[in-house]
This record gives sequence, C-alpha cells and structure tokens, in this order.
Amino acid sequence: MVKQLKAIRDEVVVSMTASTKTDDQTRAFGGRPVVEVAGVDKVYGNGTVALKEVDLTVGEGEFVSLLGPSGCGKSTLLRVMAGLGEASSGTVKWWEQDYQVVGGKGRKLAFVFQNATLMPWARVRKNVRLPLDLAHEHGADAEARIDQALEMVGLSKFGNAYPRELSGGMQMRASIARAMVTEPNLLLMDEPFGALDEMTRNRLNDDVLRLWKEKGWTVVFVTHSVYEAVYLSNRVVVMAARPGRVVEDVRIDAPYPRGAEFRVSTEFADYCRRVSLALEKASAQGEEDH
Amino acid sequence: MKQPLLQNERFVQIAAPLFVGVVFLCFWELAVRAAELPVYILPGPVAIAKSFVTDWAVLFHSLMMTLKVTLLAFVIAVVLGTAASLLFVQSRWIEVSLFPYAVLMQVTPIVAIAPLIIIWVKDTTWALTVCAVIIAIFPIISNTTLGLRSVDPNLMSMFRMYRTGRWQQLIRLRIPSALPYFFGGMRISTGLALIGAVVAEFVAGTGGSQAGLAYLILQAGYNLNIPRMFAALGLITVTGILLFALMVWLSDRVLRNWHESALKVEQ
Repeated sequence: MVKQLKAIRDEVVVSMTASTKTDDQTRAFGGRPVVEVAGVDKVYGNGTVALKEVDLTVGEGEFVSLLGPSGCGKSTLLRVMAGLGEASSGTVKWWEQDYQVVGGKGRKLAFVFQNATLMPWARVRKNVRLPLDLAHEHGADAEARIDQALEMVGLSKFGNAYPRELSGGMQMRASIARAMVTEPNLLLMDEPFGALDEMTRNRLNDDVLRLWKEKGWTVVFVTHSVYEAVYLSNRVVVMAARPGRVVEDVRIDAPYPRGAEFRVSTEFADYCRRVSLALEKASAQGEEDH
Repeated sequence: MKQPLLQNERFVQIAAPLFVGVVFLCFWELAVRAAELPVYILPGPVAIAKSFVTDWAVLFHSLMMTLKVTLLAFVIAVVLGTAASLLFVQSRWIEVSLFPYAVLMQVTPIVAIAPLIIIWVKDTTWALTVCAVIIAIFPIISNTTLGLRSVDPNLMSMFRMYRTGRWQQLIRLRIPSALPYFFGGMRISTGLALIGAVVAEFVAGTGGSQAGLAYLILQAGYNLNIPRMFAALGLITVTGILLFALMVWLSDRVLRNWHESALKVEQ
C-alpha cells in the first residue's frame, strides 16, 4: 500500500516539475499579492482542527481554485480570507495590510455563497442593490451599476421578480450580480455552482471566466469538482482533510480564453488526471492518519 | 366552459364544512324533539336561534364589551410582546435573565391570579384587559424571538462583511426574517386574548352596563335561560373564528410574495 502511494507521489512530483515551465502565452499572473495567508491554524471551540499551518498567496488577477474532499477546510479557508472567521494563529493580509484596508477603493471584496443566499422577501433588484444600500450609496450612479450588473448576468428582465420565481441557476446569477454591484477587486466564491445541473454549471463557469477577464478580478473559487477547478483556474490548490491543509499547488498553464474546445482537449484531460492524482493522494494521506 | 362546482377548491372549502354543520344541527334538533328534552336542559338549534333574535340587543351589547377587551388586550400583547422580543435579541444576557419569567407568566393559570388583578386594578375593563394580555402575550414573545433569531447565517455573514450596524441588521434582516413567525404568534394570540377576556370576566363576575358575554352566560345560567347561554357561547365561538380568519388573511397578504406558508403551489 505504502509503496503504491509512493509511486503515485513520485508520478505527481514528476508531472508537477514538468508543469512549472513558464509558458509565455499565458497571461501574466501573480502581480502583487491580494491575499496572503501565512501559517494559519483554525481550531474550533469543540477541538476540531479545521486548518493547520496553511500558507497561500493569491496574486492580483489570479483565478485560484481550492479543491479537496469534504471536511478539508476549504470553505473555512475561504471564510478566513473573507475576514469572516478569525484565524486561531498565523496571519492573513489583504493587499499587504490588515483587514481594516478591505472595502476601500481598489480593495473591495465580495463573497458568493454556496446557495444564492438572497433575501426571499425582496425582489431581485432590491437583493442586488443590498450592498449599495448597506454602504449608503444611492442615486443615478448606483442605479446604473445595478442595471449593468443585472444585464451582465442576463437578468435585466427579472429585476421585479421574487427570488422564488427564479430557477436555481438564475438565483445564483442574481447572487453574482449582487457581488458585482460593489465592483469588487477580490471575489471569493464558495462552491457557488455545486447544487446546479451540469449544463447550467458550465454556462455559469463561462460567465464567470468572461467577467473575470473583463473586470480584472482576482478570484478564489472553492469547489469539489476537479473538472470545474481545472477549467476555470490558473492554479488549483489541492487540500487534504483531518487536519485541513494544503498539499499541492498545481498550475494550469492552458491559455485563456478557454471554451468548449478546451473541455475536450487532451491538455484538459492531462491536467484533470494530474489534479485527480493529487487529490487521491491527499485523501489517502487522510486515511493513513486514522 | 364552466368548471364543475365540486372541483372548485374554494367552493369545496366552504361547502364541505357547511354541509357537516347543517347535518349536525338537523340531527341535534331532531334528537331534542324525539327525546322531548325540556329547553332548560338542552335547547334545540331552533330555540337558540329564537333567542338570538329576541335577545339580540343584550347579546350585541355584551359582545361589544367582550370584543373591546379582546382587541385592546390583543393590541397591547402585540406591542409589548414585540418590544420584549426585540429586547431579548439584543443580548443573550437579557434573554437568559428574562425569558424564564415570560414562561412563568404563561404557565400561571389565569383563573388563579385574576381575582388579585381585579382587586388591584380598579377599572373593570382594564382589569379584564390585563388578564387577557397576560395569556395572549406569550405566543407573540416566543414566536417573534424565535423569528428574530432565525436569520440565514450566510446573509448575516454578508451583513457583517459590509460592516453593517445592529440597527440596519435589525431593520433589513432580522425583522423581515421574523415576520412569518410573528404572524404565527398573532394567530394563536387572538384566540387567547378572547379566552382571556372571557375567563377573566367569569372570575370578576362584573354586571351592569359593563357586562360582557361571560357575565351574560353566568346570568343566563342562574336564570336557567339555557337558549340564551348557547346564543352567547355561539357568539364567542364565531368571534374567535372571525378573528383567526382575519389573522390568516393578514399574514397571507403580507407574506404572499415570498413565504411558503402563503404560496399556492400547483402540483
């Protein structure tokens, strides 16, 4: 068993080394750091170690996926990055400073939750407007931004609908529009399309990629789908459970824009295999410990 | 094309219970006649209906008195109960310290403390109102508190991420989340306010121009005027049903756009 694992590990290491060759065709990533997580532990009150010594730096303009089995702390890590949960130890920095800086100009952060998390009592437009309301931004400029956000996600005609009148995919679009309306620089997404069917998920993936490019976002995207992670990201961070930790950081050097051809290319298949192996290794390690 | 009546949902909802009621009343009338029961033991529906007509002035006056106490108590219970809930959710300490007393108030039998309240509060209407408030307030407090706490944790996280103050959280998030629970509390509370008003009056036994339906029942009992007793009882029941229906209508009006309770789902 151990031998077998070692073999797999070697293979992954070899393939990793191969992938670190820089590709001039890819967009330049990792400008200045947007989020830096250094030596972060997160221990919950009941003693569960959700994260152990996690180091991760996300540079400007990157699209990073956090991938791992359930219970590996990927959502916890994302929440720490959003400032929603304090780390038990270690440091988190945003734009090389502390959390106070978040929300200022050029340092805006938005979070898209696992489910759409819309207010059921408010119409779509009011839901999308919420961040602006909370920031006391009103007037023609705010209205224009709401219109624009709704248009970008294709919900212009549904501003007056209530969330329950929309399909799951449309609700998720509304949720993305709500994140967009603040014109964020860093977008954190927590398994946003996990509950959707394949077709809708693929379409929304393309939408997100398009917006990422247009808006110059930095994205951290949590998912448990290897395919989704490889398709979207320029880096896939593989995590293991018990305790939650980062085990691999795989670069996906395929050029953008990526489309349907990429999904069926051998390059895509190769990356998926590589990431799957890393994921299997991560899961096996978790089992070895217990 | 006309829809057959029996497939019309609204028609069935009204007609079916009405049919059961009519059958029951007919059976009652026939049974009373067949057994030749005297009116002072058990009057038939016809005798009770006669009493409705002949005693209408007295009945109506009493109904207004009872209704006054009921509505007054209900409004006070809603206002105070909501205020208490809002206070409870401000801090865990406040809730932990005060909530047991709300429960204490709920479990104390109102008949046992009504005499005290009647001694302490001079004005009869207010004494009865206080008794009714004591039993009507609990569903409002417990439901609204539950509702104010039943906020989607992710939405709450989002509000925190945008550094929203407590006031904004309350107005934009907690209160709308609490509405379905609040209306649920109101439905129970109207009925309890009516029961409270009637029970308190039984204990107080106040007559004269202040007499409500409970006193009318007491008095009719002493005089063996059983049909009038039934008529007063019927009025209390109908009042309770109407108040409940009013609350259902109100909550449907407010929640119809978004809450499951008020949605009509087509299968």
